[in-house]
Parts: sequence; C-alpha cells; structure tokens
Amino acid sequence: MYLDAAEKLDEVRAEERPKAPSAGARWQHFPYSCLLHHGDTCCEIAREWVIANDFAQLNGSDLLSGPRWLRQKYEWGPSPWPMHWCDVVERKVIDCGAHSALAHEVFTARGVTAFRAQFIQSYTADALSQWRTKWVDDKVSDHWIGDDVIYHEGNALLVGEDELKLWDSSAGWWINPRQNGGYGSLAAVRIFADGQWGGGDGFRWGERRIKPNEWTQI
Amino acid sequence: MPIWRRYSDCVEPMKVYVSGLYSGGNPQPGVGIVRSLRQAYPKAELVGVEYSNRVSGIHWNDLDDLWIQRPWDELDLDSYGARVRAALDAGGFWISGSDLEAMWLAALFPDGHDHLLAPPMGALRRITKPAVEAASGLPVKIPTYVSTDHSDWDLHAFCREHNWRVWLKGPYYDAARTPSWDVFEAVRNALSKVWSTERLYLQAHVSGYEESVMLSAYKGELLGAVSMRKREITPEGKTWAGDISEVPDEFMVPLRQMVKELQWTGGGELEMVRDAAGQAWLLEMNPRFPAWVHGSTIAGHNLPALLVQAASGVRAVPAPAQGQEFTRVVLEVPVRPEYPLPPIPEPFAGAIGHSLKHPSGLTSLAKKLHNANPEMLEVVSEEGGPTGLPTIPDTFVDDIESYDFDAVETPQFLFMDSTAAGLFKRAGERSHRLSTNEVQVVSGYSIKTNPDERLIRLALENGFLAEAISLLEVHKALEVGFKPDQVILNGPGKWWPEGMMPKERMHAVFCDSVADLDRTVGAIERGEMSSAHVGVRIRTPNVVSRFGIPLDSPATFRELVAAVKRLPADTAFGVHFHMASSNIGVAQWWHLFESMLKWCRSIEKLSGRTIDILDMGGGWFPDDWHADDDSKFAKAVETIRAMLPNVRQIVSEPGKAMAQPSMALAMRILEIQEHEDDKVEAVVDASIAELPMYFFYPHRMLRKCSETGQLQPLGRGKTHLMGRLCMEHDIVAANVQLPEGTRAGDLLIFCDAGGYDRSMSYVFGRG
Ligand SMILES: [Zn+2]
Repeated sequence: MYLDAAEKLDEVRAEERPKAPSAGARWQHFPYSCLLHHGDTCCEIAREWVIANDFAQLNGSDLLSGPRWLRQKYEWGPSPWPMHWCDVVERKVIDCGAHSALAHEVFTARGVTAFRAQFIQSYTADALSQWRTKWVDDKVSDHWIGDDVIYHEGNALLVGEDELKLWDSSAGWWINPRQNGGYGSLAAVRIFADGQWGGGDGFRWGERRIKPNEWTQI
Repeated sequence: MPIWRRYSDCVEPMKVYVSGLYSGGNPQPGVGIVRSLRQAYPKAELVGVEYSNRVSGIHWNDLDDLWIQRPWDELDLDSYGARVRAALDAGGFWISGSDLEAMWLAALFPDGHDHLLAPPMGALRRITKPAVEAASGLPVKIPTYVSTDHSDWDLHAFCREHNWRVWLKGPYYDAARTPSWDVFEAVRNALSKVWSTERLYLQAHVSGYEESVMLSAYKGELLGAVSMRKREITPEGKTWAGDISEVPDEFMVPLRQMVKELQWTGGGELEMVRDAAGQAWLLEMNPRFPAWVHGSTIAGHNLPALLVQAASGVRAVPAPAQGQEFTRVVLEVPVRPEYPLPPIPEPFAGAIGHSLKHPSGLTSLAKKLHNANPEMLEVVSEEGGPTGLPTIPDTFVDDIESYDFDAVETPQFLFMDSTAAGLFKRAGERSHRLSTNEVQVVSGYSIKTNPDERLIRLALENGFLAEAISLLEVHKALEVGFKPDQVILNGPGKWWPEGMMPKERMHAVFCDSVADLDRTVGAIERGEMSSAHVGVRIRTPNVVSRFGIPLDSPATFRELVAAVKRLPADTAFGVHFHMASSNIGVAQWWHLFESMLKWCRSIEKLSGRTIDILDMGGGWFPDDWHADDDSKFAKAVETIRAMLPNVRQIVSEPGKAMAQPSMALAMRILEIQEHEDDKVEAVVDASIAELPMYFFYPHRMLRKCSETGQLQPLGRGKTHLMGRLCMEHDIVAANVQLPEGTRAGDLLIFCDAGGYDRSMSYVFGRG
C-alpha cells in the first residue's frame, strides 16, 4: 500500500528537519504494506499456495527458521502498489513491503508469533541514487529513499519470552543484533505489536530493548 | 597477579617456534599466530616450522628464521624428536599449529615440557572426536553419530533415520556429505585409503550458523577465550570473515573448569553450530589455535600473546582493539630466495590438475601415529563394540535352511516362505488395528515391487488391495484372484497396453497430470472404464520426482483446483502421495506426509470437493515399515482424521517393504584369486543382472559352510565379489570378508533381494 501512503507522506524535507533528526522521522506516520484480497478464489488460491508451499519448503526444519525460499522465488525490486494476493504470487520481482507481508503470513500460519517491522537503514549516496533511478524507471514511488537512509520493511519473530529476531525477507537473512553503524546498518526500527512486552521495557533484541509501535534509534 | 618482566629486561632474546604455516584454502593457524606474536613481542625471534617448502606461509615476512624439515613420510621421528627437545631445552617455546603434530609432541613429552605450549596427551585423549567427552560440562550437545564399525545394514539405517543428511568423517580431518548409499561407499573407500583406517564415523548434520570459541591456557589455567561467529564462509566451509565477542558466563565458567581438569596448555578451539532454536552443537575441539586467531587479536584479544606471556613471564605489548569484525584478503608476498618455489608435479597422463593436498605429508604422519599407538585416537570406542556383522532374522535362517541346496541350480532366487507370510500377516493385522468406525485403513500391495504370484496371493489373503501401474499388472492381479473393485490403478502407464482396460468398476484410479485426469473423466463418462474413486497423485514442492501433479507454482496449483472442480459429482475423490522413504529418510517422509495433508486441506477448501480416499506410502525400507511400534502410524491416522474429516479410507502402501525381504539370491563361488595386500577377488555365478539394486542399499550376505552347513554372516573386509558377466561394473559386493576356509563351489546367499532386485533383474550373458 505504498502508493496511497506515499501520497500522504509527511513531507519532512532535510532542510526542515530539526538539527539532529532521528532516523525514521520522515516515516513517522507511515504504515507498513498490506496485500489486498479480491475476496474471491483468485486471491484465496494464491494465499493457500504460499502457506502450503512454505510448509513444504521447510523440509522438516525448525519453525523459527527464516522462509528463505521467498527471496529465492521472488527477487527484490520495484513493484507497483496496491497489490493483491493473486498479483503478488505471479510477479518475479517484489519490493520489501510485499516480501515482508508474505513472510508475515507464513510465520503466522506456522503458528509462531511474528510482528511486522519497519527499518531505517544507512546507505551511501551512490546506492540511493542507483535505487532511485531503478524505481523511477519502473514508474513506481521512490518515497522509501531518503537522503542518506532508506525505509525498509521486514519481520520480527518472537523467539523467547520477550526476545526478538529481525528477519529481512527481501534479503533472506537475519539482521545482526550487533550494530555499529556503516553501510547497510540499521539506524532505527519500529515493531508493530499489541500489548506490553518485557514488563514495559519492550522487546529484547541482542543487548537492546525495543518498545513496540514507536521508532527506536539503534 | 603475576609480575611480568619487560622484554628489555630479558638477557636472551625470546625464541618461539611456530608450526602449521599452510596458507591455502583450508589454512593452518601458524601465520596468524606469528602475526599476533609479532605485535605482542616486536623483538622476539620467531621461527617458522614446516615440513614442506611448498607451504606458502614460510614466506611470511614476520618470520625471523625457518626450520624446514623433510615431509613427515621421510622424517625420522626419533632424531627429529631429539632436535625438538634440544630446541625447547635451549629456551625456545613451541606453539603447534597442527593437530597431528600436537599429538606427536604430546607423545614425545609424556610429562610435558615448560616450553611446549601444546596440550598433554591426557587432555588429547579426552577431546577425541566425535564424543569430545571433556566438553560434557559445556552448554553444548553433540550431534548423533555412529562408528563405521557397525554393519552396512545398520549404517544404512542410520542414514535413513537422519534423512541422508549425514557426514562421513575421518579420524583427524576430512568430512563429506553422503546423500546416498553409493556416495557413502565411495567416500568410505576414499577416506579409509587416505587415513589408512576403517575407523570412520557417520554424523547427523545440524543446520544452523557456525561459531567457535577459541581459548588459550597454561598448565590448566584459562588465560583468555573469545567467541567468533563465521560471517563469510569459503566453499570448504572455512572462515573467511567473522566477528568477535566475549564468551558469555554460562559458557566461560564450565570452560574454565574444563581447562583446569584437562590441565590444558596451549591454544584450543571448540567448533560449533547454533541451530534455529538457539542450541549449540559441538562438532569438534581442536588442540591448537584456529586459523582465524589473528582476527581475535585485531579485536583486542591476543590469545597467543597471553600464552607466551604466561609461559615466559615476559609482558606482552597490549593489543588495542581495531574493531570487532575481521575479514581475510588475498596477498601476494615475495618468495624467500633461500627457499625458491619447487617445481609443480607432472599431471598423471590423461588426468586433469595437480593434486597438492597435504604437501607436508600429514596423512603419512597420521599413519605413523596410528601404527605407534593404535588406541591413541580411537574414533568411537564402545563397550563390547559392534562386530560389523549384520543381524540375520531367525525366519531368514529357517527359510534358507528349508532348501536342499544340492538340488538348487545357481544363481537362483529363493522364496522366503515363512518370512513373507509373516510380513503380510503383520501388515494386514496392523491395518486392522488402525482402522476405526469412521475410517478404514487398508494395505496396498505394489505389484511392480515383485509380481511373483505367491506374493500377490499373500496380499489377497491378508486383505490387501492390489496397486497396479499398467493394465498387464491389473490382469495379473485379477488372475491371482483379486476382484476389480480391489484394484487401484496409478501412474503414467495406466492406459498401456491399449484395449486391456477392465470394464468392471475398479476401486480407484489416480491420475498423474491434469490431462490424465481429464482423459480418465472422459473415459468414465463414455463408459470405457469405471472406478469407485478418481483422484490425483500430487508432487509436493521441494522434492525431486517425475510423478504426480507438481504444486511448485501458483499456476499449476490453480489448474489442479480447477480440474478437481470439474470431477463429476457422483465420483468420489481421492489423493495419492508416494515418495520413497528409503531415499529421502524417515523423518523427512513424515514431514512430507504432513505437508501433503496441508495441500489436501487447501485443495478441499478451494475446490469444494472432499477427499474420500487417501493413498499414501511408497518405497519403505522393510525395517522402517515393520518396526514393532504402531504409534507413528496411529498418530498419522489421527492427524488425517483431524485435518481431512471426510476421508473414509486410507490405503497404506509400503512398497518394497513387503517384497524385499521375501526373496534371497543363492549363488556359488566360481573362483577365488588372491592379490597383494590381502586383497581377494572372488568370482561368483550371479551378477548385477540378478542384483541390479546392489549399488543402492546393502544386502545382508551369508555363506553356507560346506563342511558344517552352518550359515555364516559376511562382515567387512578386503574381498570383492565379482559377477559372472564380462562387464567392468559387475561387482556384486565390494569390501566383504569371506569366512575362513571359503573356497570355490561354496554357496553364498544374498538376502533382501526380493524387491526391485527381483522385479528388475534382466537376462544377460546366458547365451
Ligand atoms: Zn485476486
């Protein structure tokens, strides 16, 4: 649902931002991406296929392992929004919002506790400009590309009482909880979850605490 | 707190010998140790020890001197040992970068030496792979393993149990995945040859992320330890990049205790895999620093320096942390003129490439160590260890003994009367036990596994349905006495040969493609055939198979759902799922079973058709299928009931599990030829034409003693049984041991030959 949201995006331009802007400020009110459903068998077949295929691909592994097959089947790249279930499964290339939505669906279907997650990641100007060109060429919104950071979507998986692992479905890897800045590093994270976690301190991710539903600077 | 001396206060320059300088794709730690020591002791004299001038690490410029010895196969260990002792007595320290050298040094200095910075023999014995007994206090598990001293029959069972995700490992180094029996046999031969030992072990694979703990200790005191996660891995599985962190307390406390108990001196590494649930699995403990040792120094933990500092009392220059992550790069360095590059060996005529593995002759050191002290490194020692002989069921013996072999012309298949009767009876009884008021469980006999009438009749008498893959097989079943409504027709050959399709109503027809389903429905509508159930065979994704309707894309799944919707309303619908459990493994089969039920539930939900009949099974290894315990099958029936409440009948089809034990092959030895190194070739009158499955699974073999008539099982040895065919690959058994006194004319019996060996045997070389 990028496109709609992008139009309503808070226009927080660099020059207007406070002196030490927090990563994620620009995406303060930005919702995570959701796939739409036609309410018909076209979308239901697609959804059932994703879930049944995920179980087949698990190969008997632990339910907490990442659905690596999604990245193998669907390359990461520009995709138009809004997107329906019956569209997304037929595409060869999908963006992080679609990746994260699919991963969330399979985690939940496995019966493990998963949450949608938004990331802000640092990259170089070269990387951002390459992506901007690619997204503009594909005539889809490039709202996710900031000045020195990008907005990205992924998943959070509960692996203990209040411990999380962060899954980047468009990359097919777990994000390293030891973060020290630099290219590709995580600058901020927001987890969408109801309820109190960690006795009000939030989730535990490595050495950090992440409070749900708000941007946490890393 | 010890009081360290400054280096400048020392009268003699400190001398440290460092070995293990190999710097190829699977590097030794020597160069990393040298770099770390150079940082800590800029003025120390560092001497590189190597056993080949081909090892590139000898050219590293931090080395002040070199001690290049002849390769281990040429080296006289006694005189070399004396030289090492003299070097240590003269004040030099020795850090070994090679496991085997460390073992040799431990044997050389049974009471240790203050300057030998390597673990004592008592410690080495307690870290032997794969059990690593000394690590029992650490928060780690050991992946399941089995010694290859067990019979082939048992080793095959281990592989099936672990879904063929297993590694065959050598006693010191070397490991290879063995995803099938033929690969296992090839790797076993290769590893046994390289390491001159049959003592290998099979270990279950653990999926996860690799990490290590490196430690440094002196006389039982832990000086330091770090944790490293592999962040880039070479094709050989070795660290290319990693990150360093502190060892958590829950590991550090028992590690300190372990080091104390072992009186460990020197470096050490615990190699582990962490699974998705967070459990660490210990693969091995190495008696030396790891090759990435300098990565830890970069992160501010100079473990070799701590070791030398503790042993020498001379303070090391502290190492500032430059970051917590390290990576490797490829560097070209000048070759030392005093050790010019040796020529590269000539490739063998007609071969490709130059083999430069183990240039220092480590395999030969392994052999020498093994000969000197065979018990030093028992891979797996078990109380009353395995004999290597397979267990032969009593019914096999009874059935074989019922034959008058004077009247048996060989080669000859022997029908195992009481064995077969027992198997069919038990399967029939199990189906009966598993049936409930709501759902009937019935066995299916797959005719292709062995179309022998005696077996088909046993199936009929024990309440089986007949499963056919061609119309010829359907007719065979009808001839033996099956009624058409007791026959299930499957597979892509169901219309062959033309004109033989029975007009009577069959029990079920399963289709192999959407086109096949449409054709079947058309034929039924035109009255050309009739079946109580019409269904599909499905092929779940992630499985290599040519059969069934693939579900690996949303489009094929959509087509399948649409085709099921087109089925006439008055035809009961079913799903057929077959996968050879013996090939994919038992646990994997049960996972696929569960996966298949999920697909079935989706098909029901999306097509609006309910599933009446489920036909599942295929390719079970007899021992897995006939295990006494019903619980897995009972649970499966319960799961089906819960997920697909409309299923009325479950056809369980064990595949070759019924036929394989039901026949044996008798053969006679034609000739025995003895060769060098105790190798024996015995020619038999059977061949791979009668045993086409020889390469795919082990057969239990017996010799009938010509004097006593006793049946003697064959274990592993150096005899090859060559078939009678004039064909290079006609070897019906490799590496077996013929009992003492075996001679030409003796009778051999290959059990477990009643499945595809029998049904796929062919006529060859009979004129
Ligand atoms: Zn749709």
